[in-house]
Amino acid sequence: MNKNIQEIFLISSNEDLINLFQKILKEKGKVYTFNKGRHVIEKILQSPPGLIILDTEIDDISYQEMIKLIKGENVYLHIPLIICLNIDVLQKIKELLDPEFEIDDFILKPIKEIEALVRIELTTSKASRFLDANPLTKLPGNTTIMQKIQGLIDAKKEFALGYCDLDFFKSYNDKYGFSRGDEVLMMTSRIIVNTVKEHCGAEGFVGHIGGDDFVFIVPIPKAEEVCKNITKNFDAIIPYFYDPVDRKQGFIISKNRKGKIEKFPLMAISIGVVFNRGNLKHYGEASQIAVNLKKAAKKSPKSSYILDRRNYGAQDR
Amino acid sequence: MRDLRTERKGKILSVDNLPTLPPVLDEVTKMIEDENTSPKQIADVISKDQVLSAKVLKMVNSPVYGFPGRITTIHHALVLLGINVIRGIIISTAVFDVITSSMVGLWEHSLCTSTISKIIAEQINLKDPEEYAIAGLLHDLGKVIIAIQLPEEKKEIEEVQKKEDISYLEAEKKILGFGHDRVNAWLCDHWKLPLPTKEALAYHHNPSLAKFYPDFANVVHVADCISKVLEVGFSGDEIVPLLQKKSFLSLGLTFKKLAKIMDQVLENIIEVLTFIPK
Repeated sequence: MNKNIQEIFLISSNEDLINLFQKILKEKGKVYTFNKGRHVIEKILQSPPGLIILDTEIDDISYQEMIKLIKGENVYLHIPLIICLNIDVLQKIKELLDPEFEIDDFILKPIKEIEALVRIELTTSKASRFLDANPLTKLPGNTTIMQKIQGLIDAKKEFALGYCDLDFFKSYNDKYGFSRGDEVLMMTSRIIVNTVKEHCGAEGFVGHIGGDDFVFIVPIPKAEEVCKNITKNFDAIIPYFYDPVDRKQGFIISKNRKGKIEKFPLMAISIGVVFNRGNLKHYGEASQIAVNLKKAAKKSPKSSYILDRRNYGAQDR
Repeated sequence: MRDLRTERKGKILSVDNLPTLPPVLDEVTKMIEDENTSPKQIADVISKDQVLSAKVLKMVNSPVYGFPGRITTIHHALVLLGINVIRGIIISTAVFDVITSSMVGLWEHSLCTSTISKIIAEQINLKDPEEYAIAGLLHDLGKVIIAIQLPEEKKEIEEVQKKEDISYLEAEKKILGFGHDRVNAWLCDHWKLPLPTKEALAYHHNPSLAKFYPDFANVVHVADCISKVLEVGFSGDEIVPLLQKKSFLSLGLTFKKLAKIMDQVLENIIEVLTFIPK
């Protein structure tokens, strides 16, 4: 308890409220106050604080819109966000129960000092227990992925599950080092997240199994379009993660698994997609098929995807 | 002098809410609200505004996203940031309280230099002409920042420039002790923009200083000169800088190629001029 949070953004135009929080949070970290919402968004996106406290009574932008903007991205999802509201707002807010509306807690006005303090403590320590998320990309990890897939199977929902991994990632890591490898993984996560979001909105899901393995879940009719755009965007951007010489020649020289010097092409992304039309019984079955399809896609050194035609062709063609 | 310089540098780097011109912001806002516009279309419009482009590149290259200094084009930035983050940037961006004709002039000059940079890159077969377009667009960003962060000094620069009939760059150096090219270099480091972009922005007045990506500085230098000859927009003075022979030659330019470039430029210039309404 009483862990120090480095930076706290307090967004409110109410002076009493600001003064109260200044007092409460004195020991917790450096408090930056903003009396307008719009201006602070770019700041939050650019250099995220350790905690955000948002007064729903800011008047230049709706607090709902602010929350959606911040919590809609994997890279900001982990920032604890507490809203301060009046009882009438609370009564109206059905959104508080909506899983899409990701606030971490709320504090009711008029604010009681001790209550606010405890809630802030709880929220920040809860946030640090956000353990399943991948530490690099902050995307949901294995437990969440498994539950999500099994949940859809049990509910007899149709879905497409894509498994992605990178070709020649290991040789890139060997040559450029781990931190450059992490850059590539971050970039890959953003491409998959944004492509899935662009085509499927809230219906899509992206998880990070670990290393260069990612999964996504999308509605069946969107699967091919999503695969096409992920491979296209990946191929367009990956050259920029190589040094100019390697980018120009189109390959790198690095050691293979046996320690021998070898030429490796620029990285590519391979995707295997399995469809559930009620045919799958178990999470393991879904991932097994998708992994095998991905392995088949990997046979080509270029970015490619393979869809599970057995369960796709029958009804979509 | 040293202290004043440090103080001014600090003030410049603390810029946190760059305003832009209303027409561009309105246009992008409209496009973002319309679900039928593709990210590519939005990228094309953002690529016409130096402030929005700078903000987008600053965001995508920030350590938050985990790959600083890698992304040079707005289109790639949009793929990686997504529409949601772009919306955030747009909502946060204010417009200038007062728009002077010199400011509109600077926007036109920047856009024109961007168009010419792209055409040069295409004509001499450089890879990814889009990257050169962005470098051309941002080459005078330092002037915008100086106007926002050091408005008093900016007035003095303009007075000295007129009174002594010297170039704007010389006037900047006289008043501030440094020019917008130096401001560009500071910003690129501070915002972790990629090296090719930095060299173009920092050395467009003196391209022979570019060590790693001379093509970028050379292209923007030549484009800046052409843009001034054509008198499209207004970048602070009417003095056309001396075209560096070395730049011209190292890009493999010839007068025949230049003529072809000029044809292309004149074809495209109308579109440039109609983009920013006065």
